[in-house]
Amino acid sequence: MLNEYLAVLLFLLVGAGIGVAVLLLGHLMSRRDPDPDKLRPYECGFEAFDDARMKFDVRYYLVVILFVLFDLEVAFLFPWAVALEEVGAYGLISMAVFLLILAVGFAFEWRRGALEWD
Amino acid sequence: MAFQTLLFYLFGTVLLAAAAAAVTLRNMVHAALSLILSFFTAAMLWMLLEAEFLSILLVLVYIGAVLVLFLFVVMMVERHTPTIHRRRNYRIVASAVAAVMVAELGMALLAPDFSPTAQPLPAPLEYSNTKALGSVLYTDYALAFEAAAVALLVAIVGAIALTLRVRPDHHRQNPARQSRVRKQDRLRLTDGRSEPPC
Amino acid sequence: MPDWMTDLSVWLRVGEILLGAMVILLPLLAVVAYYTYAERKIVGFIQMRLGPSRVGPRGLFQPIADVLKLLTKEVVLPAQASRGLFLLAPLAALVPALGAWAVVPFDDGLWLANIDAGLLYVLALTSLGAYGIIIAGWASNSKYALLGAMRQAAQVVSYEIAMGFALVGVLMLSGSLNLAAIVQAQSGGILDWFFLPLLPLLLVYLVSGVAETNRLPFDVVEGESELVAGFHVEYSGSAFAVFFLAEYSAMILISALTATLFFGGWLSPLEGTQIAQAVPVLDSGIHWWLLKTAFFMFCFLWFRGTFPRYRYDQIMRLGWKVFIPVTLIWIFVLGAARYAGFTG
Repeated sequence: MLNEYLAVLLFLLVGAGIGVAVLLLGHLMSRRDPDPDKLRPYECGFEAFDDARMKFDVRYYLVVILFVLFDLEVAFLFPWAVALEEVGAYGLISMAVFLLILAVGFAFEWRRGALEWD
Repeated sequence: MAFQTLLFYLFGTVLLAAAAAAVTLRNMVHAALSLILSFFTAAMLWMLLEAEFLSILLVLVYIGAVLVLFLFVVMMVERHTPTIHRRRNYRIVASAVAAVMVAELGMALLAPDFSPTAQPLPAPLEYSNTKALGSVLYTDYALAFEAAAVALLVAIVGAIALTLRVRPDHHRQNPARQSRVRKQDRLRLTDGRSEPPC
Repeated sequence: MPDWMTDLSVWLRVGEILLGAMVILLPLLAVVAYYTYAERKIVGFIQMRLGPSRVGPRGLFQPIADVLKLLTKEVVLPAQASRGLFLLAPLAALVPALGAWAVVPFDDGLWLANIDAGLLYVLALTSLGAYGIIIAGWASNSKYALLGAMRQAAQVVSYEIAMGFALVGVLMLSGSLNLAAIVQAQSGGILDWFFLPLLPLLLVYLVSGVAETNRLPFDVVEGESELVAGFHVEYSGSAFAVFFLAEYSAMILISALTATLFFGGWLSPLEGTQIAQAVPVLDSGIHWWLLKTAFFMFCFLWFRGTFPRYRYDQIMRLGWKVFIPVTLIWIFVLGAARYAGFTG
């Protein structure tokens, strides 16, 4: 097993190597001619009049929090789907209960308007 | 030294260094990125223990989800480069928590089933880590599994209760209504003469 | 000196892996280059234009000219940007997009790594794709870049859930996370491929794939009319080229996975029939995988040429309120069918 994962690890390193190679090649082949106007952040030709790192609508956090919770659900579903043959009818029922409990959460989200964007 | 031992020390060193960086760096974005690195190397260590499913799950759930949330929050919380404000009065609580954790780890290390030098049994050829886990989780441990569902439900309700602010002054678009609109609802043909203002 | 260091077979294996990685990645880069050419040509034809036609016969050398242009252009490092993270971001986008190719089976027995948890690994790497863009948006220290990155992160994570649920359906039929085993579970001809029993999940997966890679009609992340170019507004030259590479290799990956998970990978639609046994070309092989993958790559361009862009609230609504219920209901349907099989 570890033999196969060694291949995966090396593959990831080669992939990163390609990215570094492209960046290095660009560094070697391009000329560099900075001036203060060029290095300013893009802003429709104005001087930037505020720091770019601003506060965000809390809605974005809510989406990511809900994502974390649903991602865990997916994580629970994966081994179940793979072992469907082994767990039999009992496993099917226990997953149905699991999903129904979470469907309650999903319905609550929907009713409260947590999934609305305006 | 065996190749796996070498990898173990390599990942272990990176893990410790990244974890130390995560708690000492003052720039919170850098700290969160160090945390990502430490989780990643921890996943590598689990892989060396042949815990295939859990190792990839650590990447999927912690790096792919939880730390995205971390980074999201850290990047947006403060206007300028976020730095940690050190507060003295948290030190006592933090040390107490750390002491409890060290004690727990010590107890785990001294437990009779636990051996720091034990090696995982080499897996048979057609063995599937995921399937083995799945075949007990939903049957033998069904109660714990359903309890996890309830915990997730509580988390969903809690997250919504804490962060959702419904603002009544906001105009909402209703896509279903928008796409049901027909020509006669919006368009009126006139004969071209001017009309009295209505 | 440890004995593995002097063991020749270890080094042969490492060399074999590195060679294999090159054999996969270098053609992939060439395909990316010509995929951009195909994109401009196909979208051009859809809009009754010619597309690139000046560089070389029928514009065939256009991608080479583009690569040279990108490499020789200046990489502008904005003064207020966080330099290290600014250069790390393109790599953080590229590595997950390329990494999943390590486990893709091209033909029976033809793969770099045959790991048991293949599909889980692919999903884990997909979930890392968000980092490149979040880091780029924050490191640029530019309003447009940050706005684009925030939108993207929320969009990508939303569709990732639908994608994960759709994959659960595949697992319920195959009983394995291993990609080669998933293909083998579909053997027996076109009617045994998973796209028939999983038709709703296939649609969810394909559309989520388009949303995950931020392609049209879901490309509000770039939204050139409002956000200029979104998260990569401050990127130029080779740093931009790396983002470009990541986006296109992710598109090709989604196409390849759709072909593998729902359309039998390398299997021939006529598998097992007498025609397939008589004519070798019609029998299973890597050419079927290539053909199917190319078709879904074409679909990406076709969608771009056909659909008007979605609005952001419509995108979020589609992901959460349509796809998640559809996938959950289909998982219930598959489970109920299984239950009937167990008890009846």
